[in-house]
Amino acid sequence: MSGDICKTPVYADRGQGVSDQDVSELALYAGHILLESGAELSRVEDTIKRIHDAYGVDSEEAFVLSNGIFLTSGSADRGYYAKVEHIPIASAHLDRVAAVNQLSRKISEGAYTVPEAMALLKEIYKSPEKPKAHQILASGTGSGAFCVLFGGGVLDMVSAFIVGILLYAAILYPLAHPMSKIVKNLLCGAFAAGCAMCLYFAGMVTNPDAVIGASIIPLIPGVAFTTGIKDFGNQDYISGSVRIIDSLLVVFSVALGVGIVISAFHNIFGLSLI
Amino acid sequence: MPYNKIIIECLASAIGTMAFALLFSVPKKEYPYCGFIGLAGWLAYSLLKLCVPGPAGIFLAASTVVILSRIFAVRRKCPASIFMVPGLFPLVPGAGIYWAVYGLVSSDGAELANSGRGALSDAVAIVLGIVIVSELPQSLFSFIGKKHFFK
Repeated sequence: MSGDICKTPVYADRGQGVSDQDVSELALYAGHILLESGAELSRVEDTIKRIHDAYGVDSEEAFVLSNGIFLTSGSADRGYYAKVEHIPIASAHLDRVAAVNQLSRKISEGAYTVPEAMALLKEIYKSPEKPKAHQILASGTGSGAFCVLFGGGVLDMVSAFIVGILLYAAILYPLAHPMSKIVKNLLCGAFAAGCAMCLYFAGMVTNPDAVIGASIIPLIPGVAFTTGIKDFGNQDYISGSVRIIDSLLVVFSVALGVGIVISAFHNIFGLSLI
Repeated sequence: MPYNKIIIECLASAIGTMAFALLFSVPKKEYPYCGFIGLAGWLAYSLLKLCVPGPAGIFLAASTVVILSRIFAVRRKCPASIFMVPGLFPLVPGAGIYWAVYGLVSSDGAELANSGRGALSDAVAIVLGIVIVSELPQSLFSFIGKKHFFK
């Protein structure tokens, strides 16, 4: 089977004894990583097609949704391949999107055989998360910096930094176990607002509006929202709606958590922001 | 015209954008580019605010971010989202959204209508910026990114 492929130099070298089915398996795996890491739908479809084209399989049909890939390929004489994969919405990993994108370009240039590419994909998928300490520090830094943009002073910036650190520490440790996204984000918003209010009434914060606004910024689902908008732009309405609803739900739960805490402080302790 | 304020805010925007790039697992070597885009986006927003009020300014600033992201995407051979997502963060109407929901919770209709409308129009402006610039042909950005304008 690989004999006739080797005679046609336009296709990449697949390696010894690699069937069409193995090519589809590779393409599906690449699509899986992309979709799970938050790539837009058209990129997933393009990558699956590009990998098939590179190794000279032209019978591929892929149907991609925001949480699943349906892939078939093959013909009566070369055997069929069909697989459905369910891919739940996970957290964004833009580095994996970039790495798979880079790899698929190289595959198109014919740089890797199928087993080599598969090994590289597995490596990408296993690439470690950023250390938790870095994430927590980044959340604090981001909140502190954004507090300046929202009109906060130096003490406000320090407060937002502290709240950002506490918030992400809470997300990574006590709130890490699986729970409903709505409840989780409600708790996160309430926690951030509660910390900011405590600092405000301790006299550290002068502009509570800026501090609360900045400390909930790490919760905003930027990747899901942007990707959803891009899907809409590409007429992928189903996947776009799912992603946008997902991100709006997060934003609304966070804001609700904040609102509840502010009015609780107002009604129970008689403390008001205004 | 408070130039100092704009310079400090632009630096804060760059630092904040790089911090969020880390939270979204952007590859390490792209952090400076993300920071530059965050800075450029806020600079565009601050300057435009002086002559173009309201959502139109946000729209133009968001378009600047997306255009720069697509140019860097060509230069760095990366998906544009890597630069676009953190770069758009400074423009997100975060405070407006939570004041609107606070108005909802405390049954303050005026606050809800006021902040809600502001946050919604800002969000629509960002969305339009993303959609319209994404429709510009890739060849344009390949041309700008590859040869003449840089280096």
